[in-house]
Amino acid sequence: MPLKTRPYGSNSGGEGPVHENPEWEKARQALASITKSQNSTKTSPTNRTTQQVGQYQATVTDSSTMQQQQQQQYYQQWYQQNQQQYAGYPYPYNYYYPMPPYGGSYPPGQYGVPGGYQTPTTPTGQTPAMPMAEDQSSSYPSQPPPPATPQPPPQSPTSTDQPPPPPPPPIPPPPNAQYPLPPSQTPYSPNGTLPYSPTDSNPMMRGYNPGQIRPGYQGYPAPAYQPPQQQAPGQGPYGGAGMVDSKKPNISNMNKGGQQLWQRMKQAPGTGAVKFNIQKRPYVMSSQNFPSAEQAPGLGSLNATNQSPGSVVATSTTSAGCSQTRPQDWPQAMKEYVQRCFTACESEEDKDRTEKVLKDLLQSRLQDGSAYTIDWTREPLPDLKQKQTRWEVVPQRSQENAIGRGGATRGRAGARLGNYRNVFSQRSPSSSSSHSSSRSPSPHNRQRDRSRHHHSDSGSQSDSSMSSDPRLPLSRRQQKGGRGRGAERDRGRGGVGERGRGRGKANRGRRNMEDLTSGIGKKRKGGNAGLDFHDPNREAKKQSRAARFHTKLRTEPLVLNINVFDLPNGTQEGLSWDECPIVGTCQDITKIYLRLTCAPDPATVRPVPVLRKSLIAVKTHWKTNQDYLYACEQMKSIRQDLTVQGVRTDFTVEVYETHARIALEKGDHEEFNQCQTQLKALYKDCPSDNIGEFTSYRLIYFIFTKNSGDLTTELVYLTPELRADPCVAHALELRTAWALGNFHRFFKLYRKAPRMAAYLIDKFVERERHLALRAIFKTFRPFVPVEYVQSSLAFPDLDSCLAFLTGLGVTFTPSDPSKIDCKISSTCLTTS
Amino acid sequence: MFAVTLDLRIFANNAEQQLQVKGKGNVGHMLEKAADQLMSCFRVCANDNRTGIDDSKRWGMLFLINQLFKIYFKINKLHLCKPLIRAIESSSMKDEYTTAQRVTYRYYVGRKAMFDSDFKPAEECLSFSFTHCHRSCQRNKRLILIYLLPVKMLLGHMPSHQLLKKYDLMQFADVTKAVREGNLLLLNEALVKHETFFIRCGIFLILEKLKIITYRNLFKKVYHLLRTHQLPLDAFLVSLRMMKVEDVDIDEVQCILANLIYMGHIKGYISHQHQKLVVSKQNPFPPLSSVS
Repeated sequence: MPLKTRPYGSNSGGEGPVHENPEWEKARQALASITKSQNSTKTSPTNRTTQQVGQYQATVTDSSTMQQQQQQQYYQQWYQQNQQQYAGYPYPYNYYYPMPPYGGSYPPGQYGVPGGYQTPTTPTGQTPAMPMAEDQSSSYPSQPPPPATPQPPPQSPTSTDQPPPPPPPPIPPPPNAQYPLPPSQTPYSPNGTLPYSPTDSNPMMRGYNPGQIRPGYQGYPAPAYQPPQQQAPGQGPYGGAGMVDSKKPNISNMNKGGQQLWQRMKQAPGTGAVKFNIQKRPYVMSSQNFPSAEQAPGLGSLNATNQSPGSVVATSTTSAGCSQTRPQDWPQAMKEYVQRCFTACESEEDKDRTEKVLKDLLQSRLQDGSAYTIDWTREPLPDLKQKQTRWEVVPQRSQENAIGRGGATRGRAGARLGNYRNVFSQRSPSSSSSHSSSRSPSPHNRQRDRSRHHHSDSGSQSDSSMSSDPRLPLSRRQQKGGRGRGAERDRGRGGVGERGRGRGKANRGRRNMEDLTSGIGKKRKGGNAGLDFHDPNREAKKQSRAARFHTKLRTEPLVLNINVFDLPNGTQEGLSWDECPIVGTCQDITKIYLRLTCAPDPATVRPVPVLRKSLIAVKTHWKTNQDYLYACEQMKSIRQDLTVQGVRTDFTVEVYETHARIALEKGDHEEFNQCQTQLKALYKDCPSDNIGEFTSYRLIYFIFTKNSGDLTTELVYLTPELRADPCVAHALELRTAWALGNFHRFFKLYRKAPRMAAYLIDKFVERERHLALRAIFKTFRPFVPVEYVQSSLAFPDLDSCLAFLTGLGVTFTPSDPSKIDCKISSTCLTTS
Repeated sequence: MFAVTLDLRIFANNAEQQLQVKGKGNVGHMLEKAADQLMSCFRVCANDNRTGIDDSKRWGMLFLINQLFKIYFKINKLHLCKPLIRAIESSSMKDEYTTAQRVTYRYYVGRKAMFDSDFKPAEECLSFSFTHCHRSCQRNKRLILIYLLPVKMLLGHMPSHQLLKKYDLMQFADVTKAVREGNLLLLNEALVKHETFFIRCGIFLILEKLKIITYRNLFKKVYHLLRTHQLPLDAFLVSLRMMKVEDVDIDEVQCILANLIYMGHIKGYISHQHQKLVVSKQNPFPPLSSVS
C-alpha cells in the first residue's frame, strides 16, 4: 500500500502521497479538516448524489470524483468479481492493489484526478465515463487483464485448493455472466453514474447489508455461515444481488477456505506467523462479518430502514453503502476490534488465544445483539491483557483511521463511493471477509497474508492504516464528511450503536477504501495489485508508526527500564523460593539424590530437623567408611532439600562447609567449587566462624588456577578482620611467596598449612616444585645435594624426593648419587 | 548507535548502583544484560562482510568493543574480552579506526595483558595509549599511567619525579625510590601505606613483583660493597636483615638468589658447597631493560 500510495501520490496527486509518506497524521489531520468542511456540506445525507457531488466538488472536481466513484464502483464490482473469482486467488487481488491506476485513481479520486484514468473517465462524461473508466480501468493498467486472466485461474485454483471456492464459482459465474466485470460495471455506471452507482450500490448494499447485519447475528454459529452464503446467492436476484452473492460465496469461501487456508498457511513452510495472523484475522473477521452479512440479508434491509429512518431513502440510495455500512458497521467496528486484538498479538499463540476469546465474546455479543450497541472502539481488548497497552495505541489509530476512513467513505463515497463502498462494504462486512476470503482461500491469500501480515504486524492495524495511508487524503476529507454523516447516521440509527457504528463505518470506510483501492487496483491492474498494495501500505504504515514512536521511544525505554527495575526486584523476590516455601514431610534420614526435573513434592523433601540428623549420619558414615560417593550423594540430596525449602541459615552454611571439606579431601573440584560459590553467597547473610578458612581456600584456589585477576578482586574485598584470620594470613603469605617465586618460603608455608589448605595446595604443589627445580638447577653449580631439594621443596622424606627427581629424569652426579648434576639436569627439566 | 550504546551502558551502570544501594539483585546483573545487548550489536557489525570497506558496519566494532571492555572490566569478566581482542587483531582495519578509539582499545588490551602477566605486550599497548592520548585528556593519561608505570618499572624503567608530580601519582614516588635504591624496607612501607589505592587499581600484585627488582638492586649494592666475584651468602642474609626482613634464613637467601639468577637478573651461580654466590666478572647485574 505505502509503495503504491507513494507512487500514486506522486503520480496522481502530489499532495496525497507526500503527506502520506512523511507525515501521516498531519496529512490526515489536514485532510480531516478539509473533509470536515466537506462533510459539513455533505452532512445532508438526503441524496448521495447531491452529497457526493457537493463533497466531490468541494473536494476536487465533480467529474473526477464521479469518475472516481464510478471507477470505484467498477472497481468494487470488479473487486467483488475479482474477489469472487479471486476469492481463492489473492494474486489478482494483489494485482489490483499494486495497480498504478489504482494509486492514480485514488489520488485523483481524492480529487485531483491527474491520473490518466480519471482523465479519460472525466472526458467521456459521467455515464460514458463510467463505462469508459471501467473499460479504461480494465484496459488501463494491467489490472483489467490481470483480473480476467487471474480470475479464471484463481477460481480454478480456489476451487481446487479450497472447498469454499467451489461454492463461489457457481455463484460468481452468474454475476460475472450478468455483469461481466467491465460490462457489469459499465451498465451500472452508465445508467447514471450517481444514481446508478447508488442504486446499484444500494441494491448491492442492501442485499449485503441485510444479509450482513442481523442475520449474521442470528446465524452466527459457524455452520450458519456457510448456509448463509449459499442463501446469499439465492437471495440476490439483482445483479447486485448476484454480486453480493458472489461476494457472499466468496466470503463463505473465505470463511470456509479461511480455515483451510489457515491450516494450509500454518502448514506452509514459507508462511510465517504473520501469515497465520493475517489469516486468522481475516478468518475471524470474516466469521463475524459473515454471520452478519449472511444472516442479515433481510435484517440488513430492515436495519437499513430502521437505522436511517429520516434519511432512509437517502441512505439507501445515496448511501446504500451506508445502509450496508450500517449492518456492516457493527461488524466492521467489531472487525476492527478483532483486528486490534489480533494486532496486539505478538505471537501465534497469542493469536490463537485471542481468537478463541474473540470467538466466544463476539458470539455472545452477537447473540445478545449488544454487538451492535457496543462501542467497539472503546471496548477494551478482551482477554488480551498484555496486549492492551499496545492496543491502546492501536485503537487510537484505528479510531482515527476509522473516523478518517469512515469519513472518507462516507464523504466521498457518501454517494458515489457509497456504492463502491457499499459494494465494498457489502464485501467488507463480507468485504473484510472478502479480504480475508481472498487472502485466506487462495494461495494469493498466502502471499497477501504474508505481505499483509507484515504490514499488519508492524501495524496490525494495517487494514486501517493501510486504508488510511492511501486514503489519507481522501479519507480525511471523507472522514470529516464521514464523521458528520456518520454522526448523523448514528443519531438516526440509534444512540447506542453510534460510536460503534460510526467507527464501524469508519472501519468499513477504511475497508471500503481499501477495498476500493484494492478494487480499483484490481480492476486496473488485476490481481497483483492487491498484494503490492497491501505491502506498500504496510510499509508506509510501519514507517509512519516508526516515525510516531521515534520521539516516544527515547523516553519510554528509560521509564520502562526503571519500571522493570522495580518490578524485577519485586518479582524476583516473589518468585524466589522464599515466597513459595515448601516444608518437607519426608522423615527419611538418607535419601538418594536425584536431579529435580519438576516441582518438588513435599512428601519427598525432608524438613530441617530431619536434615540435621542426616548431616550427622553422613558425617559419621564418612569418618568411618570414607565412602565418598555415598557421602557426596547424601550431601547433595541434603543441599537439594535445603534449596527447595529456601533454607538459608547457619545450618545451610554448615552443610555446605561440610560438603566442601569432604569434597576437598577427596579432591572433588566440581563439588568443592559449587560449595564455595554457595558459601560465598551464604556468608553475606549468615556469617560463620569459618569464613576465614574458606576465604583462604578461595585465595589458594586462585593461586592454583593462576587467576590473578580474580585474586586481585578478592584482595579488594578482604577486610582487615579477615586479613587477621590465621588462615587468610597464611594464604596471603603463600600467595606472596608464590608470586615472587620464593619457593623456599612457599614450601615452608605449605608445611604449615592450616586446616585443610594442604589438600588444596596439593593440587599444584608438583607444578611449583617443578618450577622451583628449574630455578635451582639453573642456579646451583656444579651440583646440589638432594637433601637441600628435599628440604626446600618440602618433600616428606628423601625417598619420595628421589622418586620425584628420577621421575623427571634428573641426572645425578656419578661420583655421589646424593648430589644432582645441575647442568645436565637443567636441560632434561626444560625439555621434559 | 554510539549514543545508544553509551546510554545503555551508563544506564545499566546507574541501575547497578541503584540496585546495590537497595541491596538487591546480583552484582553485575544489569551490566551483563547490557553487555548481552552490546554483543548482539557487535555480532551484527562483525558479520557485515559484504558491504564495502567505506560504509561497513565493522567500523562500529571497535567502539562496541570498547564499551564491552568497560563493562567486562567492571564486572571482572576479563576472559570475555579475549574473543573481542581476537576479532580486532584479525581485522584488516585495526589500524584505521579513529585514534581515540584505538587509544581506548589499547588501554584495555594493555590492562588485560598486564593482569595476565604479559608485561611486554602490556607495555606496548599502554605506551601507545599514553603517547597517542590527546594532550588535553589529563585524566585519561593519568589512568593510563597508573597501569603503565608498574609495567614500566617491572621492565626496568623508573618514572621521573616530575612525571609523577604532573599526574598526581605521588603514591608511586616512594615505591619508585625504594626500588631504585634497593630499599626493601621502604618498598614494603610504601606498599602498605598505599595498599588500598593499589589494590583498588588492581596493581598491587604487580607492584609486589617489584620486590624482585628491589632484591636485585639490593644485592647489587652488596656486590659493589664487597667488590668480589665470590660473594658469601651470609652477606646477603645480613643485608636482608638490615631491611628488617627478620624471618629469613640462609636457604631462603639461596632461594631468592636462585630466582634472580633464573630470571636473568644476576649472572652467576651458587655454590651450595661453599655457600657462595659466584657472579660473572662481566656485567654481573645486567640492566633491567635487557632482561627478558
